[in-house]
Amino acid sequence: MDVVVEDVTQIWGGERTQVVALDRFSHRFPSDRFSCLLGPSGCGKSTLVQIVGGLEQATSGRVRIQDPQKGDSQRPLGADSVMVWQNLNLFPWRNVIDNVAFGLEMRGVARNERYERANVLLGSVGLRGFERHLPGQLSGGMRQRVALARALIMERPILLMDEPFAALDAQTKIVMQEELLRIFDQTHKTVVFVTHAIEEAILLGDEVIVMTARPGRIKEVIPVNLPRPRSLEMINTLEFGALFDRAFHLIREEVTAAMAQQAEMVAGH
Amino acid sequence: MNGKQGTAKFAEAALPTLSVVIFLMAWEVFVRWRGIAPIFLPAPSSISFYLWRMIADGTMEYHLGVTLLRIFAGFFIAAATGIALGLLMGMSRIVARVADVWIAALYPLPKISLIPLLIIWLGTGEAYRIVISAITAFFPIVISTYSGIRQADQGLMKAAKDLGANTRQIQLKVVIPAAMPSILSGLQLGMGVTIILIVAAEMIGGSSQSGMGYLLINSGQVMETEKVFASLVVLAVMGAVIIKLQQWGDRKIAPWVAHDDR
Repeated sequence: MDVVVEDVTQIWGGERTQVVALDRFSHRFPSDRFSCLLGPSGCGKSTLVQIVGGLEQATSGRVRIQDPQKGDSQRPLGADSVMVWQNLNLFPWRNVIDNVAFGLEMRGVARNERYERANVLLGSVGLRGFERHLPGQLSGGMRQRVALARALIMERPILLMDEPFAALDAQTKIVMQEELLRIFDQTHKTVVFVTHAIEEAILLGDEVIVMTARPGRIKEVIPVNLPRPRSLEMINTLEFGALFDRAFHLIREEVTAAMAQQAEMVAGH
Repeated sequence: MNGKQGTAKFAEAALPTLSVVIFLMAWEVFVRWRGIAPIFLPAPSSISFYLWRMIADGTMEYHLGVTLLRIFAGFFIAAATGIALGLLMGMSRIVARVADVWIAALYPLPKISLIPLLIIWLGTGEAYRIVISAITAFFPIVISTYSGIRQADQGLMKAAKDLGANTRQIQLKVVIPAAMPSILSGLQLGMGVTIILIVAAEMIGGSSQSGMGYLLINSGQVMETEKVFASLVVLAVMGAVIIKLQQWGDRKIAPWVAHDDR
């Protein structure tokens, strides 16, 4: 599935305090490609991803989901995409397997079948044996894997991920990144991955879309032509280093601008 | 090393009980030594004697039973109506708007002040007792139910929508479980005030001649202070047992909420 974003603008707030989160953001996210949105805090990247997922209404502009094989057929937002949230949003009162199977349950799938499918996914993310645990009893990395399994079970062609690994410690993060790469290689979804970590964006993505500080626009799109399957060793290659440099310089002035914005906000109160 | 740890743990566990025992012993000694009249401050030994007698001849059982029945009747009515209205307010803005005004106006009123009015309307029978306690318990229950629904995590609702849940499913499967901790804490508050109001209603307006409140005030009037103390002890134990049971129930219903260890 292609995701075509056309001139999406997002304005928060009432009359006096208007905040332009996104300013005419336009991009075509190609099918079966892993696109990373890289930008400083507050640049609207989370908002964009939620708009694409049909969970926020854009102030203006359009998002179209297109099946490249069927030409220009419009599909409703949300049906073909699934989100992995920054704060996970696992249902704390449901155990692991009921969390993972939630989407199927909403669809009316019978319990046996949805538990069977959930078990397969739990196996693939390495959580066998934890089906009856509550999210509160799991570590951060384990909860992350539950969130991932809950999204993957839906078998939707578009995967939207909003800084999913931001809260993990460095080692768990590495493991999860490798896992995600493996899943991507196997399933070929269209992935839109939001991050503020340059290294992560280059390691995972086929393209890195560098965004400006608020109001969020595209500063530059960096194609990443590293071969797949990716591996962590690539981080030490010259090619990776060059890409990192490029992204770093682009983003550095945006981060400074974002920090200034935040200082303004604090001072203004 | 092990011996020391064992002793320390034992001491820590035994300390509260020990402090109570020492307190009671000091009380006993003090009353006897100073020759204090039992009307003012009876000795623990004589309180125990009276307590035992009241249990043995069925008095305590009867009054306690009556009080408990009233408590649960009042609490059940308050819980059913409070939760129902709270849910309704959560699902309909109009209902919320209208109800909110009434709740805001009536909640600050000390419900005990309604006793004279209710006695005029309902007499001093069971109806008045149960109504006054239900009215009082109703407010914290409806308020915390509504608040629990209002404050349901938006992120969870978005996640549910993203996973294909429709509005009805979100309400049933996300909002209500999310509101559960708040509802349960409202029920705790509601139970607390129910107990207070029932005992108070039993003390005021004496056509009942039954219940722990009656026992208290009657024993007081005839200056049988030992019985007053005995009744207080039973009330305290009753209250503690009810609270513990409710906490146990809360953990069963909402196991995901972190509780302090008691």
